[in-house]
Amino acid sequence: MQLFGQALISGLLLGSLYGTIAIGLTLTWGMLKVINLSHFSFAILAGYITYQLSITTGMNPFLTMLVTIPMFFLVGVLLQWFIEIFHIDEFMSLLVTFGLFIILESVMRWFWTADHRFIPSALNPYLGVSLWVGPFALPIPQLASFLAAVLISVLTMYILHRTYAGKALRALAQDREIAGAFGVNYRRSAMMLSGMAGAYAAIAGAFISMIYGVTPTAAIEWLPVIFAVVILGGLANAFGAFAAGLIIGVTDHVTSAVADAGIASLVTFVILILALLLKPEGLFARRVAE
Amino acid sequence: MNWRAPLAFLAAGLLLWLLPWLRERLDFPVFYLIFLYFIFFWIAQASSWNMLSGYSGYFSFGQGAFYGVGVYTTATLVDKLGVSFLASLPVAGIIAALLGLGVGFAVFRLRKLRGELFALLTLAVALVVAAVVRNLDIIDGGYGVPLGQVPYPAFLGDYSAMLYRLGMIVALLTVFVAYAIQHSRLGHGLFAIRDDEAVAEGLGVPTFRYKMTILAISCFFAGLSGGLHALQINYVAVESVFNIRVALFVILMSILGGRRHWLGPVLGAIIIYTLSDRFSSVQLEFLNQIIIGSLLIVMILFVREGIYSRLQRRLWFALGLFALVLLVQVFGGIGARLISQVAVAMLALIAVLLVPEALYQKLFGWVGRHAKV
Repeated sequence: MQLFGQALISGLLLGSLYGTIAIGLTLTWGMLKVINLSHFSFAILAGYITYQLSITTGMNPFLTMLVTIPMFFLVGVLLQWFIEIFHIDEFMSLLVTFGLFIILESVMRWFWTADHRFIPSALNPYLGVSLWVGPFALPIPQLASFLAAVLISVLTMYILHRTYAGKALRALAQDREIAGAFGVNYRRSAMMLSGMAGAYAAIAGAFISMIYGVTPTAAIEWLPVIFAVVILGGLANAFGAFAAGLIIGVTDHVTSAVADAGIASLVTFVILILALLLKPEGLFARRVAE
Repeated sequence: MNWRAPLAFLAAGLLLWLLPWLRERLDFPVFYLIFLYFIFFWIAQASSWNMLSGYSGYFSFGQGAFYGVGVYTTATLVDKLGVSFLASLPVAGIIAALLGLGVGFAVFRLRKLRGELFALLTLAVALVVAAVVRNLDIIDGGYGVPLGQVPYPAFLGDYSAMLYRLGMIVALLTVFVAYAIQHSRLGHGLFAIRDDEAVAEGLGVPTFRYKMTILAISCFFAGLSGGLHALQINYVAVESVFNIRVALFVILMSILGGRRHWLGPVLGAIIIYTLSDRFSSVQLEFLNQIIIGSLLIVMILFVREGIYSRLQRRLWFALGLFALVLLVQVFGGIGARLISQVAVAMLALIAVLLVPEALYQKLFGWVGRHAKV
């Protein structure tokens, strides 16, 4: 019972990190029709920058986000600008960002070598410190990543549903031409959304760096699980991505605890395939779009 | 289809069969045979992918799964069950085709699973297959399968000649089937599906049956070529077999070459493999990836139809420049190896094909003005 409960908690905490990465991906895919594979590279690159900043300047890893968030907001904006000027459609975006993904992987390998880079514990004061709730441990960095994920999904929902810019974006996602006729500026709104996705990648990257450390191949290791989360959650659905992240995180950790880790990855993908076959629009779709 | 095409393929096969013999006479290093084997391997893989994804427009990211099933079928049959190597090859193809049919049966019944979702689902299938293989002790169980010395009939020649000859046969067979499909009713149906599936269905194309057929054929050749490749790898391990490399390379090769013609992936495979082999041979592995990534982006942005159709329009100029660059190097004594010289000449050829149409007409429009357009 103790083991099971702890697995459940670790699963929820890890799942929230899945959610953080998946929200950025699902927003640009669902609303801008850009399947951004380089989103993963952005997260890992942000992780490397977090690492580099803390070892060279001795900065607290949490504070590095003050640098990486604006930086990757800008990266997201630039990416969307590039996609706009070349008129890249949904499918081409998959291939173009795949190219970018490969390029960034070798750039990271070149800069930081293939070694596993981990922020030394002297500079990473919260690692290994836990909050104890009864018999269960809640490690501080993981807990922070959970709170960040909640904050991000609430903020995203708020922006999309309550602000003018968000409503404009949703109108554009439904019908670009009619929204354009009502005076919505597509390019500016799209660049803002893509920038938000980039900022979320930076947040996720900082946590990945703090909790797991980074390698150049980390981007490709995170890719399948996050795609499972995105598809399970339904496109353009921030809460869906967050909830699907939790589901996959929990099933992963619970199967690892009761069976073994090899089976766990299998269970994740079986869930994904079943979900795709039974409910291709995502588990949390309120109604079918169009 | 006329009778000349099969004869041409047969003649090409016979000529290529004699090459190892010629190599011994002319005293070329064995390295060239291995290099050619890899070219044939990639031609077979890229053509197999293109039959499905290029012709029908359903992009698969799961080539690695079907290739990997082929590799592991041969490895298991030969190493664990003692089946003869040649007999295991068709089995490898059939098992990969069955996996393809299973995936297709699940996917193609759903109208929603088009385009992007099909691509991602095939990626997921590749990961599931890798997880299954890693966990099943009968197949791999995470330890890898060493094949060692595998017996084979003597008429195939020494080990590298045998690999080369079998690789050549598999590649020619795959390309011939790709050619035959393109000129058949099935091929026309698939092109119609790619252009607009709803319209194709309305016009009476049996879309489900055609998609299942092409998926099975495509997977068969992926598995067949994978089965042979098990011998080349020799020490078969999950991490090296089921990585994203195969899927990435076949997509890139077909996009570069052109997806609307059977020759497209052949051209793409030759160019990409030669260039990437040369880059890694001069210790520029990281540059290799950067160049391949950039090439992918540039091709998608500027030459969407692939270089094959451009090559048709600029044939004499491009081939002339290729020959010129090659000859200058060979007779000028620049570069050590013939393959490196060919690679440099290929870069020149690609550069010609990347020039935008309008600019090309302005600069070189006078070359080959009488050529068929």
